[in-house]
Amino acid sequence: MAECVECGAELDLHDDLEVGEIVDCSTCGTELEVLEANPPVLDRAPELEEDWGE
Amino acid sequence: MRFGLLYSRIRRDEKLLLNEIRDRGHEVSKIDVRKQRFGMTEAPEDIAGCDLVLDRCLATSRSKYITEFVDAYDVPVVNDPDVAAVCADKAKNSLALANAGVPTPETEVTFTKEAALETIEDFGYPCVLKPVIGSWGRLMAKIDSRSAAEAILEHKETLGHYEHKVFYIQEFVEKPGRDIRVLATDGEPVAAMVRSSEHWLTNAAKGATTEAFELDEEAERLVEEASDAVGGGLLGVDLMETGVDEEGDPSGYTVHEVNHTVEFKALNDAVDIDVPAVVVDWLESKAEAEVPA
Repeated sequence: MAECVECGAELDLHDDLEVGEIVDCSTCGTELEVLEANPPVLDRAPELEEDWGE
Repeated sequence: MRFGLLYSRIRRDEKLLLNEIRDRGHEVSKIDVRKQRFGMTEAPEDIAGCDLVLDRCLATSRSKYITEFVDAYDVPVVNDPDVAAVCADKAKNSLALANAGVPTPETEVTFTKEAALETIEDFGYPCVLKPVIGSWGRLMAKIDSRSAAEAILEHKETLGHYEHKVFYIQEFVEKPGRDIRVLATDGEPVAAMVRSSEHWLTNAAKGATTEAFELDEEAERLVEEASDAVGGGLLGVDLMETGVDEEGDPSGYTVHEVNHTVEFKALNDAVDIDVPAVVVDWLESKAEAEVPA
C-alpha cells in the first residue's frame, strides 16, 4: 500500500501498475508518477511543459 | 521480436500498446528518455538490439532529437525523424500539406507583430493565431477584433519564447461544431472519430465529445495524401468539414494538421475497432520489413 506524498492519503492503486504511469490521488488530486511498480513507489509527477502533446 | 518504447510518461495510449505487444509474446524495452544519454555513434544498451523503436515521447523537443539519434544508430524508428520534424512544427506541417496539393486552411507566417497584424487584417475577423509548437489546443487564439489582435501579438512578442515570435496565422474555418481525427498507418485509415464541442476548439484534450465516424472516399484519399505529404508512418490526421450537403453529409474537407506521436485512447473508446491491435499489426510488419533477408 502506498501513500500520497502530498496529502498522506492511502492510494487506491490498480493491479497492473506500469512504471512511468501517472495516477491521481483521489483525495487531493495531485498527479503522482509511478517510480516503481512492485512494491509501489510514487512521487509528484513533473509539471506540464509547453511542448507536451502529440 | 524486440520493441523499444521511448517515453517520459506512460499514458493510457502507451499502456494499451505495451499490453498488446506483451500479449503477443514480444519483448519490449521501456526506455525512459529522462534517464538516457545519447552519444554520437553508439546506441544506448536499451536501444541496441531492438528490432524497432517506437517514439512515444510526450515532449516534442525530445521526440525530434531522439528519433534523429535512433535513426543514426541504424535502429528502425517510428516515426521517421524527418516525419517528426515536419509534424512537430505547424508551419512545416502546413507547408508540406500545401506543397502536396492537400487542401489546408489558408495560413501565413510572419516574424514581427506589425507584419502579423497586416496578415490578420487581410484575413479578417475572426482568424486564428497558433503557436508553431504545441498541442492539445493550448495557446490557440481566436481573434475577433483588431484590439484583441494587438494585445495578443504584444503579449507573444514580449513574454514568449522565441518560437512565439514566429506568428502562425490561419483563416478561421467555420466547421460544423466538430472536426475529424483519423488514425492512419502509412496513409491507410485505422479508425476515425469526430470530436464535437460548442467551443471553437474541438480537441479531445479540451473535453470535446467523441463519436465514431465513417470516412467517405474523399476523406480517405485526403488522409492518404496528407500522410504521404509528411512522409508517412503512424499518424493522426486532423480534418475539418468545410460544408455539409442537404442530407447533412460532408461536402468538402480541409486538412489542418498531421500529428506524429498520435494519442488514440479516445479513438479506441469511440470505435468498435481494436486500435492498439491494428497498430501493433502494423508495427510488426514494419519490423519484419527491416530484417535483412
